[in-house]
Amino acid sequence: MKHWHKAITLAAAAALSTAAAYAQEPQRGGVIDVATIGEPPTLDPMASTADLVGIVSQNIFETLFTFGTDWKVVPLLAEAMPEISDEGRVYTIKLRQGVTFHDGSAMDSADVLASLQRWQKVASRGQQAAANIASIEAPDAQTIRITLKEPYAPLLSLLAFNNSAAVVLPSENMAVPMEKPVGTGPYMLKERKPDQYIQLARFDAYKGREDASDFYGGARHQYLDEIRFVPVPDPNTRVEGAVAGQFAYADSIPVESVGRLTGDKTEAVTLKPFGWPVFVMNTKEGLLSDVAKRRAVLTALNPEDLLIAGFGTSDFYAVDGSLYPEGYAWNNKEGVEAYGQGDPEKAATALSEAGYDGTTPLRILTSRQYEFHYKMAEVAAEYLKLAGFQVKLDVVDWATLTQRRQDPKAWDIFISHSPFLPEPSLIGVMQDTSPGWWVSEAKTAALKAFNAESDPAKRAELFGAVQKVFYDEVPAFKVGDFNAVAAKSPKLQGVTPAPWPYFWNAYLAK
Amino acid sequence: MIRTISHRLLGMLVVMLLVVTIVFVIVRITPGDPAAVMLGPDATSADIAALRTQLGLDRPLLVQYFQYLADVVRGDFGQSIFLGQPVLRALADRAEPTFFLTLFSLGIAVAIALPIGIYSAYRRGSAFDQSATTVAMLAASIPSFWLGLLMIQFFAVKLGWFPTSGYGGPGASFATRLGHLVLPAFALGIVSSALIIRFTRASMLDVLNDDYVRTARSKGMGEARVILRHALKNAMIPILTIIGLTAALLISGAVVTETVFSLPGVGNLVVNAVLRRDYPVIQGALLVVAGLYVLINFLIDMLYILVDPRVRY
Repeated sequence: MKHWHKAITLAAAAALSTAAAYAQEPQRGGVIDVATIGEPPTLDPMASTADLVGIVSQNIFETLFTFGTDWKVVPLLAEAMPEISDEGRVYTIKLRQGVTFHDGSAMDSADVLASLQRWQKVASRGQQAAANIASIEAPDAQTIRITLKEPYAPLLSLLAFNNSAAVVLPSENMAVPMEKPVGTGPYMLKERKPDQYIQLARFDAYKGREDASDFYGGARHQYLDEIRFVPVPDPNTRVEGAVAGQFAYADSIPVESVGRLTGDKTEAVTLKPFGWPVFVMNTKEGLLSDVAKRRAVLTALNPEDLLIAGFGTSDFYAVDGSLYPEGYAWNNKEGVEAYGQGDPEKAATALSEAGYDGTTPLRILTSRQYEFHYKMAEVAAEYLKLAGFQVKLDVVDWATLTQRRQDPKAWDIFISHSPFLPEPSLIGVMQDTSPGWWVSEAKTAALKAFNAESDPAKRAELFGAVQKVFYDEVPAFKVGDFNAVAAKSPKLQGVTPAPWPYFWNAYLAK
Repeated sequence: MIRTISHRLLGMLVVMLLVVTIVFVIVRITPGDPAAVMLGPDATSADIAALRTQLGLDRPLLVQYFQYLADVVRGDFGQSIFLGQPVLRALADRAEPTFFLTLFSLGIAVAIALPIGIYSAYRRGSAFDQSATTVAMLAASIPSFWLGLLMIQFFAVKLGWFPTSGYGGPGASFATRLGHLVLPAFALGIVSSALIIRFTRASMLDVLNDDYVRTARSKGMGEARVILRHALKNAMIPILTIIGLTAALLISGAVVTETVFSLPGVGNLVVNAVLRRDYPVIQGALLVVAGLYVLINFLIDMLYILVDPRVRY
């Protein structure tokens, strides 16, 4: 443990000193190699919810809105925030003028209309929005009007999100699957050699916003000539490549390798907190369709022991039952008293009262794609055995897990994780159709009130009621908060730690 | 000779048909779904079902099989689900690194193994022989990926002589690309040399006591000529067999090495295709690799005939 602290302290001190040495006015020019965890399954940001797709494609494509500091929705291709009328049912969105696509054509409302229609058909989040949308119209060349069936506050966040994203494409480029990755973003696709590199070059005709840069929002400066995303699936190779100075940025560094990020060619970048590991429970079929048994699971598990197993030291995690950590508007303590008990004896009593037969196995579906999932599964299995469950650990590869979790007969718990999404309605368990299939009157009522309210302060309060239902009905076990670590060259400046790192505004110091 | 070749070619066709069938069945019964991988963690069951229909994965297996067989006969290996390009194009794009990696590592393995194996046999029981046997056993026990990681740490990170991974960026010259192969080729070559050392030694020991070797020596022929001209030539058949098999093994061994070094070769393509369940790529790549195995074996059989005129089928 002491070694970890020492390594991190040294890395932080070195990072501070090198950062100070390189701090200077942004420079134009240069090429960076960004090591990613693999090849994105597609470059169509509507077609996938994978984070990697968002990380790469957000440089090429843009949405009407995006997220500013504190995850506030801010305009991007929209001129300003929408005019909302008819008691939250009609959103009138003015578009920025003079924006062009990478193919040279001008963007207008016909492109936005066609793109939003494609989004509703192709994108999971688009379909989520479509259920609430009555119509989308383009009353003139610079205006889009979205009419909702009833007030639906998550709409703007859905329009702002960068995966399964409502990106704007040229109206003549609506083919599915996407044929030409042409967007309005600051960088355009120059060449893609699958499993070798994705080469993005500065889009010289880019018309960005003129307001100050604000997280994903505001001005997007194109300091770098090129950004090359290089798939490096092996985490050790990513680390060594960063240490050798081959990569200006290496994403997703295993926490146990942070001590390796020393020397003058790389430094650790920590996003604290990044997200939450989650044990999703099958509320539809099987053992855990009984809420009493789900509560027994919650009572049995000790989150700190799981987090230590997964992340090694408290430098990389926090024991926190709130669905959003401090710093988010959604942070609250409703229902959290049920979290973190780690009391298998109490759980055993509850399980016995719930009528558990002691023989039906509790099937935990997990994968070693993310090693911390597996490590947490092993510790959880021991706690659950102490509580009296017969536990069966199904360790499969990620592709099998993503398929098997669609089958309610195949599992009782599956392990996943998520970044803290800017809008709670986007969280998987909040969707009735998401694996876990959590549906209840209390959930529907709490979410309906939350989604219908447009006032941010009132929404934050209403989210407390949603969290309360979450802990009452236990559709999932939030293990805690965890941090994400990346490696960055000290010369690479202007990179803001973010769940989906972006490289506009980044520059290479001389 | 022509009859032998045509019999062998017919046999190869049957083997390839079996390979197509077995690979198709194994890929389809393996759990996992390309649609779920493509759509990401938050996709709904309805989205996944829609994409499966779009990809034709909802059709009966027999229909998919015969359609695939007909396409393969026409030379169409299908379209990669994830790469947006035909399978043959994806394979062709990755042939260069795999070909040169296999060639270099085989060259390194042979360059290490032949002299050591021959000298070990010649000096049987000496300190050199015992050391060589021990080192060969050690090398055979080292996983190539582990050796690869060690070499990355030392030669790429510490000394900075070679890149840690990849195959060069956009516009990289041929020489630059080959430079990316040095470390993986040595990692693979060193591990592969162990088996060839042992076979070379054993094969040479078999022939060194034969009458013709004694006769050559008694005629006053120089030792180098006796060993290299007479003994080695006769020991070459098992050595050629093991070199051929090593070449074939290197293609599959390269799978792991290419992954560790992030080389965009056929091995890397197959690993990623398996992880993503990119059915057309898995099927196409395995078919091509199996075809190479069959072809290499065929060529080795032909070489036997050339090296030893007594060999007949």
